[in-house]
Amino acid sequence: MGLRLAVSGIAKSYNGDTVLRDCSFTFKEHGVYILTGPNGCGKSTFLRICALIETPDSGKIDYSLDGGLLRPDLGLRRRLTLVLPKVGVFNTSVSRNVAYGLAIRGIRSHESERRVNKALEFVQLGHKKRQNALTLSSGETQRLGIARALVIEPEILFLDEPTASVDQKNTGIIEDLILQMKKDKRTTVVMATHDREQAEKLADSVLAMKDGKFS
Amino acid sequence: MSSIYDSFSQALSLIFHLDAELLGIIFLSMKVSCIGLLVAVVLGLPLGVFLGIKKFRLKGILITVLNTFMGLPPVVVGLFLYLLLSRSGPLGFLSLLYTSTAMVVAQSILAFPIVAALTHSAVIGVDPVIGQASSTLGATRLQVSLAVIREARFGIVSGIVAAFGRVVAEVGAILIVGGNIAGYTRVMTTAIALETDKGNFELAVALGIILIAISLLINSVLHIVQKKGMVGVS
Amino acid sequence: MFRKAVFCLFLVLCAVVVRPVQGFAATEIICSSTTSTDNSGLFGYILPLFEKKTGIKVKVVALGTGAAIEMGKRGDADVAFVHAKEQELKAVKEGFFVNRHDVMYNDFVIIGPVDDPARIRGMKSASEAFKKIAAAGKFVSRGDKSGTNTKELQLWKMVGIEPKGQAWYIEAGQGMEKTQRVADEKRAYTLTDRGTWLATKDKDRLAMAILVEGDPMLFNQYGVMAVNPARFKGVKYKEAMEFVDWLISKEGQQTIASFKDKNGNQLFFPDAK
Ligand SMILES: Nc1ncnc2c1ncn2[C@@H]1O[C@H](COP(=O)(O)OP(=O)(O)OP(=O)(O)O)[C@@H](O)[C@H]1O
Ligand SMILES: [Mg+2]
Repeated sequence: MGLRLAVSGIAKSYNGDTVLRDCSFTFKEHGVYILTGPNGCGKSTFLRICALIETPDSGKIDYSLDGGLLRPDLGLRRRLTLVLPKVGVFNTSVSRNVAYGLAIRGIRSHESERRVNKALEFVQLGHKKRQNALTLSSGETQRLGIARALVIEPEILFLDEPTASVDQKNTGIIEDLILQMKKDKRTTVVMATHDREQAEKLADSVLAMKDGKFS
Repeated sequence: MSSIYDSFSQALSLIFHLDAELLGIIFLSMKVSCIGLLVAVVLGLPLGVFLGIKKFRLKGILITVLNTFMGLPPVVVGLFLYLLLSRSGPLGFLSLLYTSTAMVVAQSILAFPIVAALTHSAVIGVDPVIGQASSTLGATRLQVSLAVIREARFGIVSGIVAAFGRVVAEVGAILIVGGNIAGYTRVMTTAIALETDKGNFELAVALGIILIAISLLINSVLHIVQKKGMVGVS
Repeated sequence: MFRKAVFCLFLVLCAVVVRPVQGFAATEIICSSTTSTDNSGLFGYILPLFEKKTGIKVKVVALGTGAAIEMGKRGDADVAFVHAKEQELKAVKEGFFVNRHDVMYNDFVIIGPVDDPARIRGMKSASEAFKKIAAAGKFVSRGDKSGTNTKELQLWKMVGIEPKGQAWYIEAGQGMEKTQRVADEKRAYTLTDRGTWLATKDKDRLAMAILVEGDPMLFNQYGVMAVNPARFKGVKYKEAMEFVDWLISKEGQQTIASFKDKNGNQLFFPDAK
């Protein structure tokens, strides 16, 4: 087992409104974890905190490897990634969007090109390489988000509603991608979704969230 | 009427037979404007980005001040700079008065608030998701800022061009601190003012045409860049 | 790439900032002067000769008369070359300048219609002539605050006449040549400098003549003086004095006399003592 995440006693509030309270869970095994719960219960907030782009008000986010605790530094952050619900595409070509994660790691030219092409093929966007990413459809945009995340080969991949407002065909593509990753057993996927069917189809375990806690 | 016509035709012949003096004036104009702008960009762009990204007290006041300074009257800038750089002023020991360096300083003071304020508004116009996305992909703080700058690039470039427009067209401040010395600190705008005074309308018109041509060129380049950056065009 | 671009720009910047500093090695002095002197082209003629002889570059900042003296008073010039003798002497007395010398003069003349309706031909006093023009003629003023205009207003003040708004007083708001043409058309009198008159009277076919000249009031005395080094540390007094001494030397004076406008007329008359 590789990177392991233990979340304990997380609390977070915005402007006095408590979103997460005493939220704990340990992601032990490789696999696909599905996060469900009503709108506004704090799934996205939980994912952002786990992905280390936001800090909780209290509680601990412990990443460990073979029993040794890892410091929450840039090195650790670069081993995980989160695809945001709005993705956040850069105003440039599809391939440059995907290459971004590699560029900031100093990986350029051939190596980068090879990996970008591979990731784009994986999400079936190879033919859209040169198109401006802002002109993609929502389904394509979600797939771009996943390609951009996969290209950096994260050990844990957080996905925040990747199939919301995506049609059946594209949802199918994305679900197949996740099943493929599940089979490869290299990446742990933590995904928020409202789609029960999808949850059942993909999940190794389902986490139900209610009022800022796992029930 | 015929006088305007004469001025124009003679101006055109002056432009076609560019003499060394005219070239020198154009070159100095460009040099002073570009370097002044460069200094303004080097200082103003990071400030604009900082104001756009960071939250801190007094930020609102700072932005208001910047916006006010965007319309700073050049002669007032020139006057203050003159008093500072004068041999009887606090910075007199630098011997910068009546040099092109003093003109560069004046230009950067005029361009700085424009670059900073327009960069700021370009940066706050960027969707916050951009910063988050680059952060999730493992960007350092600096890399996140650069990603945001890159998204704001067209707005920032417009700001820089606006600042350049102000700077090349500027007379008041550089006349005061530069002194319009022939061959040293005489630039297009101050030469136009002088030649008009002397009644040498042909030369003034020639310089005016060149000045407008340069502005036109720069704005066309900007237009092309902007158009290219527009979604769906490439 | 962004960083590379910034770096290149930074290098350029350094190069330019450093350049003027190197300039100090060659001797350069700043001369404050008036716009009309600079516009006459005199400096463009004499300064290269001076530089060739001494290696000193003279950078001329041209301002209005008052501002030119003020500039020296602040220590922002090394030498002043102006034409306002009273103000110059006052500034010397106050200790701002030293070594003032007369250098040259040019003169104004009153011109008018050849038939001279106000009967001023040959008068010795310019102010008396002005009185007669006010009573029986028309006058075209440049009305542009130039040196000539200032001299004219000074004369009106001497005789206690306020010309502004009078029916016989026309403000052209133009350069000297245009003003002469307006005066010619209106059959009016005007005050002009001899250089312009000589250069343009035939070309513009003016039906006018010089009617009054030679009154000392009409002389425009130019002087040169060095900024007092005791007052301002940075002043380049030695080089400034080389310039002053050259202007009043035989060679400098001859150079001034040999300066001609584009029509071949002498504009300035050397008179250093
Ligand atoms: N930056 C913020 N500032 C203020 N409030 C916030 C912020 N982020 C989230 N919230 C609030 O926190 C609560 C939880 O939001 P969150 O996005 O985590 O919910 P969610 O479970 O992902 O909901 P959904 O299923 O609709 O995506 C919401 O009430 C939201 O308004
Ligand atoms: Mg959500």
